[in-house]
Amino acid sequence: MRRRRFLTGAAAAAGAAATAGAATGCGNLQSGDPNTLTFMFRGSTEERDVFSRAVELFQEREGISVDIISTSADQYATKLQTAILGGRTPDVFYFDASMATAYMTNGVLADITPYVEATELPVDDIWQAGVDLYRFDGDQRGQGPIYGMPKDLGPFSFGYNKTLFEERGVEPPDPDVPLDWDEFLDRCARLTGDRAGTGTTDTWGTSVNIGAEIHSYLWSNGADWLDEDLRTVTVDTPEFIEALQYVVDLREVHGVTPSINDTEGLDGYQRWLRGQIGFFPVAPWDLTLYRTLDFEFDLCPYPAGSTGTPATFIGSLGIGVSASSATPDRAAELAMFLACDPDAQAIIVGEGQTIPNTRTHAAEWVQDTSVEPQNKQEYIDIVEDYGRFVPDMLTYTPEWLNAFHTDLQPVLEGRRDVAEYLAATQPVMQGFLDAGHEQFRIDQEANS
Amino acid sequence: MSSVPAATAPPAVPEAAAAGAAGRGRPPRHRPGRGPLHRTERIWGRIFIAPPVIGFALFALAPLIFSFYASFTHWNGLSAPLFSGLTNFRTMAGDAQFWQSLWNTAFMMLGIPIGLAISLALALALNRRIPARGAFRVIYYLPGVSSVAAISILWQWALNGDFGLVNQMLSMVGIEGPNWLAEKMWVKPALIIMGVWKGIGFSTLLYLAALQSVPRTLLEAAMLDGAGAWRRFLHVTVPMLSPVTFFLVVTGIIGGAQMFAEINIMTPTGGPEFGSATIVWYIWQQGFQNLKLGYATAMSLVLGLMIFAVTAVQFYLNSRNVFTVE
Repeated sequence: MRRRRFLTGAAAAAGAAATAGAATGCGNLQSGDPNTLTFMFRGSTEERDVFSRAVELFQEREGISVDIISTSADQYATKLQTAILGGRTPDVFYFDASMATAYMTNGVLADITPYVEATELPVDDIWQAGVDLYRFDGDQRGQGPIYGMPKDLGPFSFGYNKTLFEERGVEPPDPDVPLDWDEFLDRCARLTGDRAGTGTTDTWGTSVNIGAEIHSYLWSNGADWLDEDLRTVTVDTPEFIEALQYVVDLREVHGVTPSINDTEGLDGYQRWLRGQIGFFPVAPWDLTLYRTLDFEFDLCPYPAGSTGTPATFIGSLGIGVSASSATPDRAAELAMFLACDPDAQAIIVGEGQTIPNTRTHAAEWVQDTSVEPQNKQEYIDIVEDYGRFVPDMLTYTPEWLNAFHTDLQPVLEGRRDVAEYLAATQPVMQGFLDAGHEQFRIDQEANS
Repeated sequence: MSSVPAATAPPAVPEAAAAGAAGRGRPPRHRPGRGPLHRTERIWGRIFIAPPVIGFALFALAPLIFSFYASFTHWNGLSAPLFSGLTNFRTMAGDAQFWQSLWNTAFMMLGIPIGLAISLALALALNRRIPARGAFRVIYYLPGVSSVAAISILWQWALNGDFGLVNQMLSMVGIEGPNWLAEKMWVKPALIIMGVWKGIGFSTLLYLAALQSVPRTLLEAAMLDGAGAWRRFLHVTVPMLSPVTFFLVVTGIIGGAQMFAEINIMTPTGGPEFGSATIVWYIWQQGFQNLKLGYATAMSLVLGLMIFAVTAVQFYLNSRNVFTVE
């Protein structure tokens, strides 16, 4: 009996200690105080500073205390996942759009539609595509209740090094009319050369980051990753094959991008920063750094394949409210405040980390020619016209798209036939897509 | 009456208990420390052992039991696990990437014997009276106390296909080095080289300590018997080092099976054609990137069993080849 009593007592003490520890330690990811919200987000040091200032403004205006938990981007997903696993989801948090369906299906995110409808903040002025991205009707994204606000929309625009174009005597691209693939190749060839006169190539027409830029080439050529229902992988179509072959040939046949060895030594991004690349992506989150470079740059449309229309992807992070938040109304207000309050947006956009989240603010922003890029309208065109979301943001898991890249290296190096690779990869990707859908179905049933 | 003389019976044994024992025809067991005199000691003893016992129960046993259960569930880490029977194990059997990552992990363990051989050679060198012996010992041990992340980034540069230090050194002797981390054939050897470099200091230190404790009497006896330096090394020194070798092999295999940080930093997508994905990296990817925590737990369980089985075999083999000086 004494032993039993002792063990019982010890277990109770340990339990009490664990409970106390859980309640007070580990960063207090969810506040029990109705006047305190927890906000977890990620970003570079500069971005964290910018958003912290916006949150300070919210605190002053609403008289609510906000505990900020911020991490670097590479640690964020694991930290958030751990918080959710431990039942300590922050009141307000960033989330990756590709995880949104899982968070919505499994009851992690709160439906904030009533708060969106009731708020005085200019939510209607936010880009429609951004709001729709976080709608979910229980089966499909893009329709139904709202589960998050877009923290931003990130149009992945193309750009060019104006200084290099002038040096090489190459005509700059038209800001309104996209180059076709032949014209693009011609200009890339003229930009590629030996600027320093050392006998080796030190400037290139472009440098393709395959993971980020392939979408532009295949979409503008009439290809896509999945069919409209997001149920069938369509990488083995002639349009897809042609697009990937074109990208491979830029390096392997025409030599207008740095070789694999060149990019291993100094990747395309670093070479762009050194002014060695003619055409290169210019995303909004890069502007702060790019404005410090010793060459001029501007935006232009991506070259267009057989459709004649440029294409690129739009990135986005969501700001969500925890379904278990004790004060969902206030949490939703913070999410909406960060997404569209004019003063908050002035702080956030002013630092050059993102384009304005609201149409009114964007219309003013594009008129400002005092800072690069001059052609800011390109960003707006992408958001309103030719930008798309990569479908892995809409499927249950992104595993199917990862499978595309797993064995891609020999193709990019010209050691494996493009068509043969895509034919062999399609069933693998389809298998992952089907497994993800099955996972979705099971979770849907479990949470219904 | 008790069959045990009262003078020899332990005073702490209650009479009833003694009588009961006598009734069954057996002498009462001598149970020291059961009496009231030792009660305080017993309580304190239990208090002292309570923290590790509770810690083990909370942080090892309970998670292990839960993991066992979770491995039989469909669990995405966002909502409650759903029992799914053997589905995860069936999936595992047909999962090419699981087997590939297991193979990658096993292949990279080739670094263990390579590292041990180099460590032993270094230990033999450092055991001799050479100038700046202390400085060499510190230099070789330094990678062992450095952060894995820092070492991984360092080696990412060193193994760079174009400007990397490794290829530059190879080019000095007329060899055109491969693109180490971008070619399927070379990515595993590259990681093995890094692993050997990182682990060599620790192994050398242990071998050095073991070498210094090899009894000189045995070496002298072998010398008197006419054994040369090589035979003395092979038949006296190496057997006497076997406990350290055994320890290094066991910890090397366990550590090698858990390789993660290097892979995640140097080849964050699992390497060219999944060539460097280790099993722990794959488990992490499935659990945290693809919302398959149930499946990831099942793989962890299988990995744990594999490590247990390999270690058990090693202990068995070692028990048949142990050398000690009695």
